Amino acid sequence: MHIIVCLKQIIDPEIPPHIFQIDPVKRKQIRGRQALVISDFDAIALEVALQLKERTDGKVTAITIGQKEAVESLHTALAMGTDETMLISDPAFEGADSFGKAHILAAALCKLGEFDIVLCGRQAGDVELGLVGPFLAEKMGLPCVTLMANIEPGDGKVRLKRPIEGGYEILEAPLPFLATVTNDESNVPRYASVRGIRAAMRKKIPVWSAADLGLDPAEVGPETARIEMEELFIPKREMRCEFIEGESGPEKGRRLALRLKELKLI
Amino acid sequence: MMTNILTFCFASAEELPRASLEVLAAGRRLGDELRNGCVQAALLGPDVEGHGETLVHHGADEVFIISHPRLQYYEADVILETLEAIVQQLSPDVVLFPHDELGGGNVGPRLAYRLGTGIVTDCVGFEVKDDAIRWLRPVYGGKAMAYMVANGPLQLATTRSRAFEPLAPDSARQGAVHTLEVDVDSMSSPVSLVERTQEEIEGISLDQAQIIVSGGRGMEDKEGFSALDRLAEILGAAVGGSRPAADLGWVPHSRLVGQTGKIVAPNLYIAVAISGAPQHMAGAGSSKTIVAINKDEDAPIFKVAHVGVVGEWENVIPALTVACKEILGS
Repeated sequence: MHIIVCLKQIIDPEIPPHIFQIDPVKRKQIRGRQALVISDFDAIALEVALQLKERTDGKVTAITIGQKEAVESLHTALAMGTDETMLISDPAFEGADSFGKAHILAAALCKLGEFDIVLCGRQAGDVELGLVGPFLAEKMGLPCVTLMANIEPGDGKVRLKRPIEGGYEILEAPLPFLATVTNDESNVPRYASVRGIRAAMRKKIPVWSAADLGLDPAEVGPETARIEMEELFIPKREMRCEFIEGESGPEKGRRLALRLKELKLI
Repeated sequence: MMTNILTFCFASAEELPRASLEVLAAGRRLGDELRNGCVQAALLGPDVEGHGETLVHHGADEVFIISHPRLQYYEADVILETLEAIVQQLSPDVVLFPHDELGGGNVGPRLAYRLGTGIVTDCVGFEVKDDAIRWLRPVYGGKAMAYMVANGPLQLATTRSRAFEPLAPDSARQGAVHTLEVDVDSMSSPVSLVERTQEEIEGISLDQAQIIVSGGRGMEDKEGFSALDRLAEILGAAVGGSRPAADLGWVPHSRLVGQTGKIVAPNLYIAVAISGAPQHMAGAGSSKTIVAINKDEDAPIFKVAHVGVVGEWENVIPALTVACKEILGS
C-alpha cells in the first residue's frame, strides 16, 4: 500500500498574539524569529499514514510545496518514519492559490505514479481555507472522503473512521482515493526519535521544479488565482478584563454569579 | 440586472438546523445590499417539504425543494452532483453554504472546483464595495482578519457557525415555494456507509449552546470535570475542553474547543483553568462574553477575557455553582 501525504510548512501557529506580526502590503505573516513547523492537521495526516503503513507493510511518501527551508519539514517527516519525500519548489509557484497548488500537487502525484491513498490535513494552520485537499481530489478524479480520523486496511477497499458528535461513522472507499484528515484520540502525531532525526539529516531530498513536473508556470502562478486576499489586518482589541475581587475563592465565586446576573448573561 | 443569491439549506424531516437559517440570513443581507438581489434557498434532505414556508418566513424570496432520502452527509457525492444540477438549473451569481463538515469541508470546495469558480470559506462577514463582495474571514487562528474577493462572475462562500444571526420569522413575508426535479436516483457514490455508532448525546451540543463551560489542563484530572458538569447543568450549558484536556482524555475529542476542534461563539464562554493558548482562542475567541477563572494572574486568557477571577477553580467553582443555582431558582 502506497500512501502519499501532502504537507504544508507554516510559521509556528502557537506563538502568542503579542509577537504575531503581519505585513499588510504583502498581506502575509512576518516570520521574524519564529520556528517553521508542519501544519497541525498535516502532521496528523502523516500519523494516520504511518499507522496504516505499520499495519499493511506499506510505504509512505510525503511531498510539500515550498521554498528551500521547507526541507526541514520533510526531514521531520522522514524522522517520524516516512520512506520517501520530495520538495516541490520553483519561483513560479510563488503566489499560487489553492487551485494552483492543487494543480502542482496533481502533477507531482502523476510523476510519482502508482499510489493507493492520498492524505491531506483538513486545513492549513495559517490561512485555514481547507481547499487544497478537495480540489486535488477533483483535479485527479479521485473519490474524496473528508474529515477522517483513521483508516482500517481491507481487501481492495479500506474502511475509514469519521468522528461525529457523540460517536463515529465507518465509511468504505475503493482504492485509490483522497481523504482529508481531522484529529481524534487515535492520531496524535508521534515524536521523531533522535536516531530518526540523525538518519533523516543524511538523506538527500529530491527537488522537483515546474519543468520537472512538466508544468507551464502560467497555469499555476498568481495570475490564475481565483481568490485573492485584498486586505489583511490585526483587529484592534481594546479589552480590559474586569476582575472580580474578594477575600477568598468562594467569595469571588459568589460575586461572579451576581455579576453574571447583572450582565444578564445567566 | 438581477443578482441571484442561492443559499444551500440542509435539513431533515424533523429539523431545520440553525445553520441553514444563518446562511439564509447572510444571503438576505447580501441581497439587500446588492442592487436587485434575489435570495433563493435550495432546501435539501430527506422528507424536507415541511420546511419550505419556514424558509420564506426567514428571508427567502424563492425556495426550491429537493427532497430525497439519499441527501445525507455520508452520500456527499450524491449531494455534490445534486448541487451541481441545481446550480445549472438556477444559474445563480453567488452561492452560500454553511461552513460545516459538509458544506465547508466537502461539497463547497468540490463544487467550486467543478464550476471553475473561486470560493471563500469560513466567512464571518462581508461588505459590498463598488458592487463587489469583500468576504471577511479570520486567518492565522483568529490572530488576524482578511478581506478576500473571488474572481469571476460566479462565486461561492461558506459562512461560519453563529457569525450570522437567523432572522426572526415573519409570517407576512411572501415567497414562492417550488419543487425542483433532480434525478437523484441515477447518481452514484463511490463511498458507502458501513455503520454509524452514536451515543445519545448527553446535555447540549457545543454548536447549540448559548453558554459553554470549558476546562483546561489546570483541572488536574477527569474528576475535575465533574465540577464543571454540575455548573453546566445549572446553567443549561455545554461542557468543552482545551486540547490538553482532550488529549489527556478528560473530555472526548468531539468536545474540544480550538483550532483543531470546534469553533464556537456562544453568548457566554466560561474558561476554567485554561491558560488561553492561541490554539484554544482560535476556537473560543469569537464568544460574545468570555469569563476566565485561573489561579495565575498572568495567564494570557485574562488578556482576552471580559470578566476574570484569579483563584483556584476548586474554591471558586463550587461557590459559583451554588450561587447560580440560587439565582436561577432551580
